[in-house]
Amino acid sequence: MDETVNGHGEHLQSPIWSTSVINDIQVKAGLGTYRMHGFSTLRDRFPTLNDLVFLPAVLSRFPLEGYRERCETETVIGEDLPRPLRLSVPIMISGMSFGALSKTAKVALGKAATKLGISTTTGDGGMLVEERAASEKMIYQILASRYGHTLDMMLSADAIEICVSQGAKPGTGGVLFGAKISETVASMRTLPVGIDQRGPARHPDWMTAPDLKVKIEEIREVTDRQVPVLIKMGASRVFDDVRIAAKVGADAIAVDGMEGGTGASPEILLDHTGIPTLAAIVQAREALEELGLFGKTKLIAAGGIRNGVDAAKALALGADAVYLGTSVLIALGCNAPRSEWADNYAALGTSAGHCYHCHTGLCPAGIATQDPELEAHLDVEEGADRVYNFLSSMVLEMTMLAKACGKGDVHSLDTSDLRALSLDASLMAKIPLAGLDRVPFQGS
Amino acid sequence: MEINCDELTVTEVNRALRALKASDRVNVIHPRGRDNLGVALRTPAAVHFKGSVGAYCGGMNNGASITIEGNAGNGLGENSEAGSIVVTGSVSTCAGASMRGGTITVMGDAGNRLGISMKGGTLILAGDAGPMAGFMIQAGSLIIRGDAGRGLGDSMYEGEIYVGGCLGELGNDAVLTEMDEGEREALAASLTAAGVARAADWKKIVAGRQLWHFRGTHEELAIWMKL
Repeated sequence: MDETVNGHGEHLQSPIWSTSVINDIQVKAGLGTYRMHGFSTLRDRFPTLNDLVFLPAVLSRFPLEGYRERCETETVIGEDLPRPLRLSVPIMISGMSFGALSKTAKVALGKAATKLGISTTTGDGGMLVEERAASEKMIYQILASRYGHTLDMMLSADAIEICVSQGAKPGTGGVLFGAKISETVASMRTLPVGIDQRGPARHPDWMTAPDLKVKIEEIREVTDRQVPVLIKMGASRVFDDVRIAAKVGADAIAVDGMEGGTGASPEILLDHTGIPTLAAIVQAREALEELGLFGKTKLIAAGGIRNGVDAAKALALGADAVYLGTSVLIALGCNAPRSEWADNYAALGTSAGHCYHCHTGLCPAGIATQDPELEAHLDVEEGADRVYNFLSSMVLEMTMLAKACGKGDVHSLDTSDLRALSLDASLMAKIPLAGLDRVPFQGS
Repeated sequence: MEINCDELTVTEVNRALRALKASDRVNVIHPRGRDNLGVALRTPAAVHFKGSVGAYCGGMNNGASITIEGNAGNGLGENSEAGSIVVTGSVSTCAGASMRGGTITVMGDAGNRLGISMKGGTLILAGDAGPMAGFMIQAGSLIIRGDAGRGLGDSMYEGEIYVGGCLGELGNDAVLTEMDEGEREALAASLTAAGVARAADWKKIVAGRQLWHFRGTHEELAIWMKL
């Protein structure tokens, strides 16, 4: 009798030395270095926004008519400034670089955002003239690399965001393989064509919180105190980090959970660094509450926001808006099962629905590439329409949930509208467990 | 023309400086080490700070000719694109960080990370530089007349670093290379123009280019794709 086979004829697997671990070791034995991929973490079993549900109004509260009555969505960042950032809905498109993305993708995102009245964000490597033209409201990121960072770009922006790190890989800088360092990308970043770019983890001209406070003042001077200044950070020691960001004077703070997407990252950072968005939003809210700045310093939730349901839950947990990255790329066509792209997926050794190969520059959908032939797979107008449709569906989902909960403004959603479906989500989000109506181990 | 910092906020000083015409010459008195003075100036006016300034003075300079009669704090002339900045004294950390064009000249010494992440232009230091000068330089020339601390030119992409004094331990992937006579003459001319004394001998440091590719070919990338 083979003792490694169970009664169903299945091979038993060591919980420590699983087939995936064995494969991982064998791949690294060949590579001699760490493994990389794009897209997002592929690990499972951690609490997400999916582990929460809403409590709609029944008798103790009254719902609004979901298909008829009005539900407000306007969101304003920096409302005391001469040029606040006014968004029609609490959705923003997050920083994704030209370089990681194709020009066509950046322009399509800009067109969709403009049609809806929301913002896009530049990303590493500077601002394309074409994306600025397509985006009515544009946030300009200042990153550690300062690639393509110019005064003209800064002054043309509707808000400035200091990107400290991203949720997919907090504590490290950006990565862009040589396949994506085209002549245009290299020129904008002052890099040799075709090299593997690894951006710095630290900003070049500030190191500490007191430095950052002065740096923000410099940005306000550069922009003549007209537009908001945001800080974006990967979710790590969120309570402390958000308190610092608020104290140094940011108008809004974006916290990017470990579900956040990326164009390229070492796999270990994707899977084993940072905390989930669910926990990050709550800790960020608590930090702002402690400082008496909750509601004044705006909170933007990022990382794995997939639909209007996730967005509404993020708002109920305390966010004022959400950042979208991966989801709008999927709306653009990422991982779409188009038969004419089958050979492109096959060349990457994958198939539609399982493509995490943004780092290779060989994106079948023409999104995460600088290859002109692949980029031609993406039609800018069709892509913009698809993103706009997706964003519109999100707005309907958000307002439907808010109205079902009896709220006439999506910003009126709060923690009392939520219950957790699992013990770990309840503890992590400090949301009462469904049926128990309290957070376990937190008193009666 | 004179601007008195004692009578104005930093924002008011900067707005007054941005209103200057190209031919204007202005003395800015009593800067008293305040931060963020003279940032984002586009007009090629002559701006003279009579006293020491704080952090980010001349930040994002885009054409002004700035002189500072004293010392300067962190991030002097960060991300400068054009124009010139001259400091008669010493500078704190990160002077010329990410500068892309123009010239910055410091007659005294510099703290750490001088010329970090430079993307162009020329940065001349008459005195000694602290650790990690020229970290991740991408383009441009960093000229240190005095001694250079440890970690010089760490992780350089391109650009050149010249040192007239003693070298500390070079940074990761920074290597010494030969200079030809033409380069020596050009260097001497730059220093003379800047009013900095010549050095008896110069060392040139460039990127070893060993960090440019950590998986360089598409064939190797194909291995990375397998999850």
